[in-house]
Amino acid sequence: MSTAPTQAGSAPPTRNAPSRIGRSAVLAGGLVALLAAIVASIAVGAESVPLGQIWPALTDFDPLSGDHLVVRDIRVPRTLLGIAVGAALAVAGALIQTLSRNPLAEPGILGVTHGAGFALTLGAALGLAGTALGELGLGVAGAVLATVLVYAVGRHSTLRLLLAGVALSAVLQGVSLGVRLTSPDTLDKYRFWSVGSLAGREQTDLTIPLVAIALALVGALLVARSLNAVALGETVAHTLGANVARVRTVTLVLITVLAGAATAVAGPILFVGLIVPHLLRRLTVGSVPWLVTLSMIVGPILMLAADTISRVVLHTGEVPVAIVTAFLGGPMLIWVVRRYGAGSL
Amino acid sequence: MTTKPMTLLRSSRLVKASVAAAAFALTVSVAGCGAAGQETSGETRQFKADNGTVEIPQNPQRVVATGYAVPTLIEADAPLVGISSWQRGEPMMSDEDMKTYQDLPRVAGETAAETNYEAIAEQNPDLIVIGVPKPIFQEIDTERLESIAPVVAIGPDVPSAWKEVSRKQADAAGALERFDEGKREYEQKAEELKGKYADALDGLKLAHIGGYGEVENGNFQREFDGSWGTNVANDIGAEYYGQVSEKGEGSRAVSEYPSLEQLPSALKDAEAITYTVNADGSLPEAVKYVLDSNLWKNLPAVKKDMTFPVKYTEAATYGQATTALEALDETFAPLLKK
Amino acid sequence: MTTTESPKRTAQVRVPVRGRAWWIERRTLGVVVGCAVAMLVLGFVGLSFGSSWSTPGEVLGALTGTQPSVVIVEWRGPRVVAAILFGAALGVAGAIFQNLTRNPMGSPDIIGLDAGAYTGALLVMTVFTGATTTVAFGSVVGGLLTAALVYALSRSGGLSGMRLVVIGIAVNAMVTALNNWLVLRAELEVAMAAVGWNSGSLNGIDWDDLILPFSVIAVLLALASLRAQALHQSALGDAVAVATGVGLERQRLLMVFIGVGCTATVTSVAGPVAFIALAAPQIGRRLARAPGVPLLPAALCGAVLLQLADLIAQMLLAPVSLPVGVVTTAIGGCYLIWLLAQEVRRR
Repeated sequence: MSTAPTQAGSAPPTRNAPSRIGRSAVLAGGLVALLAAIVASIAVGAESVPLGQIWPALTDFDPLSGDHLVVRDIRVPRTLLGIAVGAALAVAGALIQTLSRNPLAEPGILGVTHGAGFALTLGAALGLAGTALGELGLGVAGAVLATVLVYAVGRHSTLRLLLAGVALSAVLQGVSLGVRLTSPDTLDKYRFWSVGSLAGREQTDLTIPLVAIALALVGALLVARSLNAVALGETVAHTLGANVARVRTVTLVLITVLAGAATAVAGPILFVGLIVPHLLRRLTVGSVPWLVTLSMIVGPILMLAADTISRVVLHTGEVPVAIVTAFLGGPMLIWVVRRYGAGSL
Repeated sequence: MTTKPMTLLRSSRLVKASVAAAAFALTVSVAGCGAAGQETSGETRQFKADNGTVEIPQNPQRVVATGYAVPTLIEADAPLVGISSWQRGEPMMSDEDMKTYQDLPRVAGETAAETNYEAIAEQNPDLIVIGVPKPIFQEIDTERLESIAPVVAIGPDVPSAWKEVSRKQADAAGALERFDEGKREYEQKAEELKGKYADALDGLKLAHIGGYGEVENGNFQREFDGSWGTNVANDIGAEYYGQVSEKGEGSRAVSEYPSLEQLPSALKDAEAITYTVNADGSLPEAVKYVLDSNLWKNLPAVKKDMTFPVKYTEAATYGQATTALEALDETFAPLLKK
Repeated sequence: MTTTESPKRTAQVRVPVRGRAWWIERRTLGVVVGCAVAMLVLGFVGLSFGSSWSTPGEVLGALTGTQPSVVIVEWRGPRVVAAILFGAALGVAGAIFQNLTRNPMGSPDIIGLDAGAYTGALLVMTVFTGATTTVAFGSVVGGLLTAALVYALSRSGGLSGMRLVVIGIAVNAMVTALNNWLVLRAELEVAMAAVGWNSGSLNGIDWDDLILPFSVIAVLLALASLRAQALHQSALGDAVAVATGVGLERQRLLMVFIGVGCTATVTSVAGPVAFIALAAPQIGRRLARAPGVPLLPAALCGAVLLQLADLIAQMLLAPVSLPVGVVTTAIGGCYLIWLLAQEVRRR
């Protein structure tokens, strides 16, 4: 993939060549790792399915075998979901960070996922969240409102942005708690979207959100090149012929669709959109298309790994995956901030 | 910057504190006289409750009840003057009891923090029965309640404890007569059904899918002997095989929340499966999730059509349990034909 | 009280206190008096409200001792005083953090105090099955440990606002996840009790419960007022602060300690009460039209806000009272919306 024409003042040309090879190597390695993660996700779970049964479960399905049913009806849909949600959140995070030129922006931290979750809860309480399309719409609407609110309040500085996100998340969670305390009927539905989890979704109709995520990911790839130009600054972007306002709008739409759809399906999950772009930062300096592509691979790896852990960490039963990502992402964030400083990056 | 407002506050607080002390002393002596007055009208006795041995009136005339004591004492026709709201018990109340429940003044909400001490005091009770489970009891300001009337805390720790707990509550409120009537009714019915289903249930390995509490996504609730969904069935001879793999406190000793993946291996030995349904017969979300999955449909008991919905699993009084028995009779009827 | 001719002091008022004259902005004085009046009025309403309204005569009678009433003095009294005291403490804590991070959205929640307090309370309730006093103790320990953790992690490089906030977010997320885990593993009834604790409530507070918190908060607030000048200067920028000779790091540490101490004390008695620390300082600042975030208006606004919230919590669904934390969250929501409107108007 070509990068933007040599940027004035940035890396000298000699760094690009090994970097490109490095990127391709990572791409290949990433695909292999993704395959491994998929296999692990299908093979590991709360119930120990003998390894020898896994391939037959997929190819020579026996409807009477409990093990085969577990693999086909629970783990495979869950793995697909993990891939979709991981890719969606990682790419959304990458896009937000590029757009706002802020290395700490992330749909979870900024309260976007909580906004989507809250809209879903409210919609469920009002009876609007019956269909998959309705849920998707609510999730995206909530994401949009949260993004608008947080950016309007915190536009001027990173600190303000983060704090606005924290405050918004806290308010929404508090209001949800209040709703739950006064009306236990919404309790059932609320629970579904209060803590992010990939479990228990295999019976819901996943086609619509998955299609939406897939389309948005394609859109992200398409807009990546123009975003590259915009990320260099407005004047540079204009000289390169990119329509800044349009690119910004399209990117924001993609971010909210990705975050909204992911939350509609899995509930609020934090940190995935933060960890993945950071891991890829050094590698993809100056190239948004690479960032987006690699995020689409590393995101699912992270998500599947976290989900697999969430299945086995308790002796009986499962832990919601959002708890695992919080424990993975928290130390990561701390390490990043301590190592690289909060303002630079 | 001036510290004036704070000084003002502090001195008025001093005044308030001394006034409080004086007022309290006065009130205590007045209350003492009042209590003595009450004592002459009815003797007291020592009663053993969760909060120690308490001196309560022999014949209470004005009882305030909260928590599980609410449906118990309504059924037992105790002289209630104020109750907490207790939504858990609402679906299982008879029409008559429901009317009583709705007419009585509310003095507390569902949680301990919502106890309205003033509303309780206003009803001028001579006995306060706190029927909330033990962990919640910690959060209530017992001292304040004790300044109004004697307080007995009687709460369940395991789901099946409702039998002893409800009897104690009725005992404290002086409503044993009506209570024991209800108890006898239940025990008679249970004996009758036990005999009726003796052959059908003998040696039948049962498992129960529950819907109580917070069932996380992807998990299901399995209840063993002595839990909410099973304790009434236990009384007619049903046996729920197996044990919790990681025993915990209270309800965690008789129920667990495994992942749905573990359904086939967990229930493969079950010859019959019962599952919780709501009072109107509809499925709770957590149970519906299990029943809709292919793993359920593949279970041996399900394939033999040996599944039975159970209503009123949250029964915590003898009246509710009798209704539960009748529902069990209805649902187990097919067993007699097999 | 006289106003002088000196041009730069026309808006100020001379207040003699203990023989020395303090120069105070007239505006600040107006705010102080206004808030004090509001507090007294709300306090009076708080003393009158209950399952049945008491007449003003009864309230006055109870206060002066002519018509003793256990309900007014023993039950409503501590609640009103707690609302004032805790609201002031939270307002001051919020002002401190907003000065520290030089940001209107700073608050003690960001360093994980509330989440940590919940962890401590949960551990006591689930693992140790403790009584109320133990829960209070647990929550203080949990909150302090979490704050200490955040501070320790963000220390290298000084207490720069940004680093503190980011690490606070990370720790907060982890501690919240831990809390979710603990609630998941807990027995059902314990879990419900824990969730109730986490909503914050002023119900059932007695005079005994207030003795310790009162002393702690009084000491902390006194400390804060003494160091207020220095805090103001540091809020105007590090360069100014260094120039005027304020020992920066030690100064910051002391203020953080005061802010954390105030919040932890309030949380131990009433549970986490959200958003007073966030909203009160800003409202106070706007009322007093001061640069930086002054402590006194923050304290007073906090007291008034919490009293208001508590009254609403009691009145909304009477006779059942809501947890006050639910109402303060609604206030927080309104505050955010108001902030948004300000931003939009500023464009």
